Amino acid sequence: MATILDEALIAQLNAGYVCPPEAGPAWRTACAYGFDMSLVEDALQMTVEERLDSHQRALDLILELREAAQRHASG
Amino acid sequence: MPQDDKALLLRLKKQNVEFVIIGGVCGVLHGVSLVTQDLDVCCRFTTENLHRIEAALRGLHPRHRLTADKLPLELTDELCARLRNLYLQTDLGALDCLGEVAGVGNYEQVLARSVACQMSYGELRILDLDALIATKEAMGRDRDLAAVKQLRAIKERNEPR
Repeated sequence: MATILDEALIAQLNAGYVCPPEAGPAWRTACAYGFDMSLVEDALQMTVEERLDSHQRALDLILELREAAQRHASG
Repeated sequence: MPQDDKALLLRLKKQNVEFVIIGGVCGVLHGVSLVTQDLDVCCRFTTENLHRIEAALRGLHPRHRLTADKLPLELTDELCARLRNLYLQTDLGALDCLGEVAGVGNYEQVLARSVACQMSYGELRILDLDALIATKEAMGRDRDLAAVKQLRAIKERNEPR
């Protein structure tokens, strides 16, 4: 099956988050600092309750991984 | 050690504790993408409110997590009168209850600079964006100042164009 690769799309897929041209100075500062502001954009689309639930899932994963790492380290 | 912020908040609400969410979780509720490991709230440090906190945490083995022996939370009226902060560890995670917030002030001042968030289980109050930025700048630690960059971006995004 032939696949046509769009070079612009491939470049976009590999680039990561790109600060939008219409972004204001504070948004640009956060981007330049190194934050993936797409995560903030996603959060701003959520309700406050969804943000708390999403944070809980991320925290649960971190704590689970940390616990696994400690178990691994202790043999 | 688990950290279940929602369960802790529900318990505080159920006991009618007077509190405002501050710190990293407050940032998350405003849209910050950073993960934080403890729950910070500013509380009215009256004897009545402190006993409500104690009741909310009953059964969760609350302990003063920063004391050498992790002393259990056992409040007396005399102790309540002298407490300014409570740094607790519970079976549901860490809960820090502060009587004052750097850059904002005491509970009344924090309350005056809070906003209500409607959750499916009732209303929660959180510091407003400007107050949260003020407290994080007052704290001045690297991680606080990093969070301020996101908070300022969120504020900019929220402002009408």
